[in-house]
Amino acid sequence: MSPAAAAPDTGGHRGPYVDPVLYDIVYSWYDADLAFYVELAKRSAGPVLEVACGTGRILLPTRAAGVDIDGIDLEPAMIERLRAKAAAANLSVDVAVADMRDFTRPRRYALITIPFRAFMHLKTTEDQLRALRCIRDHLEPGGALVMNQFYPSPRFMAEHDGKRTCDREFQHPDDGTRVELWDLSRYDRVNQVTTVEREVVRTDAAGARHTLHRYTFTLRWSYRFELELLLEAAGYRHWEVRGGFDGRPLERETDEMIWTASPD
Amino acid sequence: MDREPGLTPSPYDAPDLYDLIFESLQFDVPYYVAQGRVANGPVLEVACGTGRVLLALLAAGVDADGFDLSEPMIERLREKAAERNLPARVSVADMRDFTLTRRYARAFCAFNAFAHCDTIDEQLRALRCIRDHLEPGGALVIHMSYPSTSLWLGTDGEPVFELETPHPLNDHRLQMWDTRFKNIVEQRQRSEVELRELTAGGDVVDRTRFETTQRWIYRFEFELLFRLAGFARWEIFGGFEHEALERDDQQMLAWAWRD
Repeated sequence: MSPAAAAPDTGGHRGPYVDPVLYDIVYSWYDADLAFYVELAKRSAGPVLEVACGTGRILLPTRAAGVDIDGIDLEPAMIERLRAKAAAANLSVDVAVADMRDFTRPRRYALITIPFRAFMHLKTTEDQLRALRCIRDHLEPGGALVMNQFYPSPRFMAEHDGKRTCDREFQHPDDGTRVELWDLSRYDRVNQVTTVEREVVRTDAAGARHTLHRYTFTLRWSYRFELELLLEAAGYRHWEVRGGFDGRPLERETDEMIWTASPD
Repeated sequence: MDREPGLTPSPYDAPDLYDLIFESLQFDVPYYVAQGRVANGPVLEVACGTGRVLLALLAAGVDADGFDLSEPMIERLREKAAERNLPARVSVADMRDFTLTRRYARAFCAFNAFAHCDTIDEQLRALRCIRDHLEPGGALVIHMSYPSTSLWLGTDGEPVFELETPHPLNDHRLQMWDTRFKNIVEQRQRSEVELRELTAGGDVVDRTRFETTQRWIYRFEFELLFRLAGFARWEIFGGFEHEALERDDQQMLAWAWRD
């Protein structure tokens, strides 16, 4: 996941994507989507492209499973770290720094994915349409786009707006010390934008707390029918949405939306 | 919009009761009258009901036509127009598929009527059909409540007091109670509405029940609908003063221009 907007909107703090080591620590606990995307790629009839591949959290295990997968990401530092991790694992990868709204790859893909809510970095309808069209142009006949994202439920917004809460607590991957993510989220309900001020706090072996990092990021959410209209306007003809990585129907506003869309 | 047999009747099957509750509402009428006066051409009201807005337009001298899906509502509009000696050119028609001979400088769709379009397909069919009836340079104006957090978090499945109005014919009061069933993912609200007539002493002497469904629309979704329906540009305001839309407790006033 990396920012689609080139201009930093971090209010003076640098976002998580310029520090890929920290990024990998912050999301070291997360793997809920991994099996889904790896299995999807393994079943693909042709080459796979991962859009906003970051440091390779999904791309590298997919490549290690023998899949012909390429990747793009907007942030050079993320791609650099992906390449270093690939080299260390002795994996050959074809990844590039590119903007999902406007990229050109030499080949076409049977499957293009945007995992981990990265589509939510696109802040305007115009940016969303540019990305969806550019991806459509890179699909083989019969190919499909698969992406997942969410929107904050009314209850979640009502309970969390403007409140600083510890959203996640996990063990540091290097030494097992406790790391906490403290988030203060604000919701612009008509512009559909969440602004998160995040503080990453580590407690060392002696019990002292250290702030590792502070950064601000924004996510632009889209509702279900809005996404259907975006897909239609971008030239897709068939789509389906599921309510979780296990394939259950989308029924609740707290469900993750898993989209599959095809231009044919 | 199509109703299954055996359900509670639509409120539009009882226009006299509808008017007892809604006819006195004025919050939006001056806006449409003002916009109609400066429209520089004929005005069409889509889903004009019993004429709450349309009759005010006609009384102000605006060249306005209207249609509604409900025959009883149009019948009542015609009666009211005749009583007031206003020339009402109205018809029974479906906003998703209608054909009128005139072209209009403005089309108005007031008071959440567009929420009766239940699916993307119905929404787009209605918007395309309305656009086809606009003159070059013409615009469509739709008023919809914004689907707010408080709407979604409001009580589900229990009667909620909505409004009370004096009965125009006696010393009774009329109360509207709304039992809502909401689906946030589907952006849909089904309402079981009960009209209660109460004596001055508070005894309920009559109850009438109706059912309606509304499909709510968010802002960017609205813009995409206009885009897909072929409108050239659009603007979403936060109310009848054309203030910016900034909060979800505002009203949404969507303008879409044909060219």
